[in-house]
Amino acid sequence: MSGRVIVITSGKGGVGKTTASANIGTALAKAGNKVVMIDTDLGLRNLDLLLGLENRIVYTIVDVVEERCKLKQALVKDKKNPNLCLLAAAQTRDKSAVTEEQLKEICEKLKKDYDFILVDCPAGIEQGFQNAVAGATEAIVVTTPEMSAVRDADRIIGLLEAKEEIESYRLLLNRVRPNLIKSKDMMSVEDVVEILSADLIGIIPEDTGIITSTNKGEPIVNDEKSLAGRAYMNVAKRIMGEEIEFMNLEEETSVVAKVKKFFKGLMGKEK
Amino acid sequence: MRDNIFAELYNKLLGFFRQAEEEESAKDVACNRLRVVLMQDRTNLTPQLLERMRGELVELLSKYLEMDKDALELNLDQEGEQMALMLSIPVIRAKDEEEIEKALAENETKQLDDENAEEDEAVEEGETEEEAEENDLNAEEDEAEADADVESEDEIKSETKKFPNKEICGDCRECEFSDDIECEKKNPSKKSK
Repeated sequence: MSGRVIVITSGKGGVGKTTASANIGTALAKAGNKVVMIDTDLGLRNLDLLLGLENRIVYTIVDVVEERCKLKQALVKDKKNPNLCLLAAAQTRDKSAVTEEQLKEICEKLKKDYDFILVDCPAGIEQGFQNAVAGATEAIVVTTPEMSAVRDADRIIGLLEAKEEIESYRLLLNRVRPNLIKSKDMMSVEDVVEILSADLIGIIPEDTGIITSTNKGEPIVNDEKSLAGRAYMNVAKRIMGEEIEFMNLEEETSVVAKVKKFFKGLMGKEK
Repeated sequence: MRDNIFAELYNKLLGFFRQAEEEESAKDVACNRLRVVLMQDRTNLTPQLLERMRGELVELLSKYLEMDKDALELNLDQEGEQMALMLSIPVIRAKDEEEIEKALAENETKQLDDENAEEDEAVEEGETEEEAEENDLNAEEDEAEADADVESEDEIKSETKKFPNKEICGDCRECEFSDDIECEKKNPSKKSK
């Protein structure tokens, strides 16, 4: 088996890299793939929290690199899905504790046993980014329809294009607010795609459910009713090569759709 | 009193609708600002360089055309994958052949003179190629100034003329000493040493 190594990056912080990693990873595992997630944000680890695995971490990536444990020992299995596991970042060390070569080596080893290796990249374009990208051949650039996030995404795309190992990258547009786009207060999906001239892998609507799911340590893809959850599921399917149409968020979030959903819910209860 | 209130209300309503019609939407503002910023990010072309390019283009084109130099617009634009340089020039009139010939002839003789002077200087000072190029540009600007048809109105132009050397003093911005040599204007005492 030779798995695909995908780095999830953004340049700007706070656009939802880690949330995207947790959800895409979970969605891929739900679809039956063997998935391992690597948190490379040394010193600021959070992926474990989003997955609800913070209490199960014994060894981290730094322990693997410094040979205090075997790679397999450091992989933490997900609570729900045995196909999914996490290689956590060390919280007490900084970005220099792991080198590009070491990360490459870890990715190479994991490729043999897993279908997908998702690398959650830290914010910024410094060494942390370089490390995270080192082992990857594909990239997902997370951005939001805000000026600063788009600008930083453009910078990241420039850096990714300069890397020979990266064969393809696609854009994940997060926190899209259809009502703001409708009133022309926010850049539309088409605007961002045109400005960055990059392919899309997904459009994720702004969803308050993300906050509750983070609080509970359970990725929102596990909630099949949520719009963001469904959008992430679609992203996973597109990664797997399926052709899925992009959701029409304006329709999905319209009043009519909400009323329909409400009645559907009632009918469901009656049964 | 009551009339006033109604009049005010009416005006406000009118104003509100007009605003909605005329004002550029936030999204359009964002898109346009982003395009400009990204263009600069991607090309490393600073506003200073663009301004300079503008100056040189004005100079070149004014040999052939009489134009409204202040209204000339130079922008980088993105059209799909292709980056485009958009130049919009309000032309007042095209010059006739005689004028063009005259301007070109003047230009050529000037250029020859300057090139000769340039070479001598370069040998004397042992300049690097880059610096020689820099001076070349300045020399061209000087010609333009001598040209009767061209008024020197570009800020950049006059600025570069003021500092013909690449090394401009970082302290007083006037003398030609570079930063690593002491500025004579600021430290007159050190000059005597």
